[in-house]
Amino acid sequence: MKLSPGQASAFVFLVVYCGAVLILIYRAKRGMKLPEIYKIPGLDAIDEAVGRCTEMGTSVHFSPGIAGLDDAQTLAGLAILGYVARRCARYDTDIVCTIRTIIVYPLAEETVKQAFIQEGKADRFKPEMVRFISDDQFAYASGVTDIMYREKPGASVLIGGFWAESLLIAEVGSIVGAIQIAGTARLQQIPFFVAACDYALIGEEIYAASAYLTREPTTMGTLVAEDWGKMLAELVIIVGCILQSLGITLLKDLLSK
Amino acid sequence: MKQEVPIIIGLVFGLLVILGVFFPTLGSLGVWKKTIDDWFLLATAWAVGVGVINLTQIHAKRIRSKSKGYFHSIWLLICMYGLTVFGVFFAKTPSNSGWQFVYNQLLAPMSATVYSSIVFYIGSAAYRSFIAKSLDSTILLVSAVVVMLAAVPLGRFLLGAWINQASAWIMNVLNSSGMRGIQIGATLGAIATALRILVGIERSHVGGAAE
Repeated sequence: MKLSPGQASAFVFLVVYCGAVLILIYRAKRGMKLPEIYKIPGLDAIDEAVGRCTEMGTSVHFSPGIAGLDDAQTLAGLAILGYVARRCARYDTDIVCTIRTIIVYPLAEETVKQAFIQEGKADRFKPEMVRFISDDQFAYASGVTDIMYREKPGASVLIGGFWAESLLIAEVGSIVGAIQIAGTARLQQIPFFVAACDYALIGEEIYAASAYLTREPTTMGTLVAEDWGKMLAELVIIVGCILQSLGITLLKDLLSK
Repeated sequence: MKQEVPIIIGLVFGLLVILGVFFPTLGSLGVWKKTIDDWFLLATAWAVGVGVINLTQIHAKRIRSKSKGYFHSIWLLICMYGLTVFGVFFAKTPSNSGWQFVYNQLLAPMSATVYSSIVFYIGSAAYRSFIAKSLDSTILLVSAVVVMLAAVPLGRFLLGAWINQASAWIMNVLNSSGMRGIQIGATLGAIATALRILVGIERSHVGGAAE
């Protein structure tokens, strides 16, 4: 069995990291003392944004991005969609979730529907709350901007994988005066969101959102594992820099296996 | 039970796909991965039908209620069903000249038009962002001016070669190190999120508690 270069070390790291995540979930369940999470203003602003829409009598727009289910950003977006939809259901505010990738549509619809059921407002759920726009990137962007101009949502939450359409949607949201919370792990799009939105979630913050919003010990445990992983990565980078500067290629060879 | 069954299915198939990526030649893992990928494609194809029903429901409602701009909905349904009928019964293959015409002469230019409009939005976003109202925004403004000047011949002509070196330093040292830090954090976050979904901790998409 032959692995391509770097795959063996990646697999070992994946197993160790997943092991650490599972151990910390187990320990968190058994009452491990969890650290405080630093404040993420973008996530704190979600309640404020939904409240604003309730007062104004407008809807909340949500987009889980244009990536598919094979992208963790979409899954993170759907988790936040559940939270936003529950808040909307609680305050009798409409939500408009726009979808580009068709396989995401049934999941988004189920997420919103379940949120309304859990809040005891099943009768308020409407099929048009989750809208499939188009599978084409720019047709999707046009559709979303049309909804923004026509329906003028009081808030727009964009969390997931975004590409070139990110600025188009965010700028139109800004033009119609919506309070905007956006987040992505796509490096090229982060600056656009920072420039055009009121609050921006950068990279890993979108994955931490679920734990941050729910404060559930099991999900919080995974955040501790993420920090351990980051410390390990920093250690590997520092040791790698020193060894490479000294002409020792041991770590490089090990990671290339 | 409604929640547990999808989570168990997700866990089993998720593990098979992960192992299939790393060990495609071990036993029949590679074959399993390929089969699951094909099933995913089939599920996606079926989901297109669900999307078409959703679009039809929403736009038919708009047409029935004659809400503002309802003629756009009529046009959308004509285009969607018209192209489906044309593709299935007349064009049949993507290489058909009529189908190629629709793609090359209609869809591609329309996409390019929307894409091009981003340039104006970049201008308006930059105008709002590049205001030196705090230390952070001043650093952003100065860095952006240096990088933009280096990107045009006029910058080098007016200021000399140092502007290119300064821009390269900003992009290769400051920007790259920051971006890599974000990337490492995001990758670890993505793995943790995937694991939370695989083991069923994150279950809002199957009707689990979202808070």
